[in-house]
Amino acid sequence: MALLELRGVSLSFGGLRVVSGLDLHVGEGEVVSVIGPNGAGKTTLFNLITGVYRPDAGEILLDGASIVGLQPHQISRRGVSRTFQTLRLFLNMSVKENVMAAAYGHTRAGLVRSMLRTPGMRREEREIEALAERRLAFFGERLMGYRWDQPAYSLSYANRRRLEIARATATNPRILLLDEPAAGMNPAETHEITELIGRLRSEGGYTILVIEHDMHVVEGISDRVVALDHGIKIAEGTFEAVATNPQVVEAYLGTQTAATK
Amino acid sequence: MSDTTPHAATPSPAEGPAVGQDEWVARHAERRLARGGLLGTVEARLRTIPWWAWLALFVAAMCLVPAVESSGYVRRVAFDTVLYMLLALGLNIVVGWGGLLDLGYVALYGVGAYTYAFIASDQFGVHLPTLVAVPVTVIVGAIVGLLLGLPSRRLTGDYLAIVTLFFLQLFQTLTTNGDSAFGHDITGGPNGILNVDPFHLFGHDLAVQHAGVFAVSYFYVALGVFAVVYVALRFVNLSRTGRAWRALREDPLAAETMGMPVNWLKLLSFSFGAAVAALTGTLFAALNASVFPLTFYFTLLITVYVMVILGGSGSQAGVVLGALIVGPLLEVLRDPDKSRWVFVLAVAAGLALSYRLSRRLAAILAATIGFGFAVHEVAGAIDSRWVAGQHATGLGGSIAHWVVVPAHLAGWVPPVSYVGLISAALLLTIVDPRVRQVLLVPTLYLAAFVWENVMLADPDATRYIVLGVILIALMIVRPNGLLGERRVEIV
Amino acid sequence: MDTFIQLTVDALTLGSVYALIALGYTLVYGVLKLLNFAHGDVFMVGSFIGFGVLQLLGGTSNPAVPVWVLLTLVTLAAMAGCAGLGVAIERFAYRPLRDAPRIAPLISALGVSFFLANSMQLLFGAAPRNYDTFALSNGALYLKGFDVGDVRVPLLRVITIGSAFVLMILLWLLVNRTRTGKAMRATSFDREAAAMMGIDIDRVIVFTFVLGSALAGAAGVMFALRVPTQVSIGFVAGLKGFTAAVIGGIGSIPGAMAGGLLLGFAESYTQGYVSTKWSDLVVFSILVAFMIFRPQGLFGRADIRKV
Repeated sequence: MALLELRGVSLSFGGLRVVSGLDLHVGEGEVVSVIGPNGAGKTTLFNLITGVYRPDAGEILLDGASIVGLQPHQISRRGVSRTFQTLRLFLNMSVKENVMAAAYGHTRAGLVRSMLRTPGMRREEREIEALAERRLAFFGERLMGYRWDQPAYSLSYANRRRLEIARATATNPRILLLDEPAAGMNPAETHEITELIGRLRSEGGYTILVIEHDMHVVEGISDRVVALDHGIKIAEGTFEAVATNPQVVEAYLGTQTAATK
Repeated sequence: MSDTTPHAATPSPAEGPAVGQDEWVARHAERRLARGGLLGTVEARLRTIPWWAWLALFVAAMCLVPAVESSGYVRRVAFDTVLYMLLALGLNIVVGWGGLLDLGYVALYGVGAYTYAFIASDQFGVHLPTLVAVPVTVIVGAIVGLLLGLPSRRLTGDYLAIVTLFFLQLFQTLTTNGDSAFGHDITGGPNGILNVDPFHLFGHDLAVQHAGVFAVSYFYVALGVFAVVYVALRFVNLSRTGRAWRALREDPLAAETMGMPVNWLKLLSFSFGAAVAALTGTLFAALNASVFPLTFYFTLLITVYVMVILGGSGSQAGVVLGALIVGPLLEVLRDPDKSRWVFVLAVAAGLALSYRLSRRLAAILAATIGFGFAVHEVAGAIDSRWVAGQHATGLGGSIAHWVVVPAHLAGWVPPVSYVGLISAALLLTIVDPRVRQVLLVPTLYLAAFVWENVMLADPDATRYIVLGVILIALMIVRPNGLLGERRVEIV
Repeated sequence: MDTFIQLTVDALTLGSVYALIALGYTLVYGVLKLLNFAHGDVFMVGSFIGFGVLQLLGGTSNPAVPVWVLLTLVTLAAMAGCAGLGVAIERFAYRPLRDAPRIAPLISALGVSFFLANSMQLLFGAAPRNYDTFALSNGALYLKGFDVGDVRVPLLRVITIGSAFVLMILLWLLVNRTRTGKAMRATSFDREAAAMMGIDIDRVIVFTFVLGSALAGAAGVMFALRVPTQVSIGFVAGLKGFTAAVIGGIGSIPGAMAGGLLLGFAESYTQGYVSTKWSDLVVFSILVAFMIFRPQGLFGRADIRKV
């Protein structure tokens, strides 16, 4: 059974259909890429899955149970986590606190216990801290040591992207939605992201749904590729099959050079 | 491209990091932090002192106030300042951590004071023991705070502002008219509730007066409450809830998708702030033995906001410092002679900050003083009544030789000079720096004139004008206040 | 029935004052997305300017000019004075904060409101200022008028309500029929895009403050023609106008008018039929009901959450 499944999902803003009749499934342990030209409805798809938008029609199932109508934080607790294309870090909090904050959903200490600093609360705090350090250590030295206590705004662009991923994994998700993880990165960093997504699956055990424009990354990571255009799925299959699909080529026409740089 | 290693972007140590990479950013931040010289050493040393040591030191210093100062007035001001510190800490939860604009905050302080008065006074003949009445009041405050947050659940800051501000107004209406609600006297109306019970702890009533002067017992109780609240808030800030509040302030949407129930957290911060306000309200009611509607209105709201913003919204130590400055400042401004000193010192500090200790500063000072004597002479020569006003001693006396203080002010003078001063001051902020230096001289003199002749005549309006100016100027010049971290929105 | 008619006339008067204030909030919110808390105090200053000009022209019992010229001059002076004040507030308190975090201009606005109220207190004291409208033209403005049933609707009320509506219609024409109005609408829709289309954003914002503040000045005079004015009315009137704007749908011009009238009726009828004391409670209940059931207001559109 698929971990995440969308059946006939549609969404309109005003009269504009952003996503229509979309079917999609992501199996446990799979890495699925979503490609498509700008405005194809890719980020909207993520917003639908994470509960930011509610679909007009259709079902979204996580492990067979519908998550339509749940609040974003409830969906996060069921094991869906994401990064943002536009980078939405908690800029004035420290690097470590950014990751620690995301442990909120699976921790329990309430206000009273926090004020009294009970032993149970302190134990939980230590666990949260250890979790955050583990998640940050996933990126090698880049987010370690003195960086922990720096505010997130002092990080470079690439490190912010890494921190977003670290934060997303701190919710202990089963499926990670990565929104253009390689956007704005230089070739070396892009290469690194490709490796990283592989490690997220093999070492982290996450199922991954990723939006990506860089075709080298898509080629390097995907078990399966889904192409969207104007909110409609126009192709699905292996990278080679989708990349050579005439409809996909047509959708990208004019933006072809940018897409396959 | 495939031969580039992932670590190629890391610069070799010899070259040093390139601008824009985070090593550079990090070191840049360090460079700015590490100041040289004696001041730098002191600053670095001060940083190593843990927060609880600061707190203990501060509380100990405050404990000494009644010992060195026997005046009941000073003790009373010290007590009020502790209440302000508590109020500022509570507001900081909502504004500083939650990032929500709560304009009904002081109404919740009022809810606390009135609730305590209901359950511990002759109003309904209920006299609950202090150790029951205070927790009950805090819980009532928390619940009212929660209810107040409810209508604005899904809404942004603007809507929250209107609902809470209206709640402040409604609290006024309810308490002022509550003496005839359906034929019953509930709140005592504009006359408030009198004969509220004092705190009764460990078998003793806490006396407000002792041998005719303000007794210190309440001061120590308030200080104790302050220390407990400070520590509790510090712990909350470093807990999962505190982190979630700050995350929600930074980016509500990201917080929500990272598993934080944003609406619940907003309500929680509202409610928690309200609980602190209500707790402070019990202290207020018990000490004054009475509560009146007008205490809890817009003026107090702005006062507490100035404290939070001046000290540095988001920083606990900051907002306490803000209360410590603004509370006594408001008292000092009541007295014309002390108020004069505040004016002179504020102008001197302002000039020193903008011009440092430079020749220009000396020139401006000399010119202003000379200008003043000249104007004074000319005015006196034209008509001696123009400089005949006010022969006070002390600073007021000396200033009267310099500022024109007429024996009688014509009705048109105050509005014209005041509006002229405001216009001149605003103009100074936009003109060319060289022109500014020249214009500064008559503007300073005009300021002294207005201060002596117009503002000192009504200290009450004056001190609130000062608060308003502080608030606007802070938001523009230094929104992070004295101790707050400068916040970055978008980089 | 007679009470009903009297209350209705009063509701229309009060409602049009609230509507004019609400328009100022809504216009500024439209282009700046800022709740200008100081607006209520601008309104209060307007009523004082009106009073000052009235005194300069010889007072109500012995005016130097015919009564209709007097009323016009008083209103125009208040509008001009408030427009200047609004521009100054925008230039010095809000413009430096245009790119600051959203809470910053709100707090600055609170400071401006507090500053204005206390400055007026300092200069003119807390005593009420009575326009003494009955003395104008020897009471003719009250004795003349037209009858509805047994109730005389005084000429002054008719003039007030009429001119408020004329101002609203003029504003509507300005916003919907002129180039400047188009620029304002474009700016409120998307400030950055408007700037890229060559619209001078600063000018549009200043113009918006001129319009909003001038309306507040007119409202201040109309308010003071009804009851004596004093420094403390700024806060309450501002709050009511602000509520009216939110109920009508903040950012919407017809919404502000409808919200203002709705508030005027609610307040007037509550005061007439229930009690003068609890009208605030009724208005607050309406506000909360809107917040819960229709947060976008009467004429506002529900926001699409942009991510």
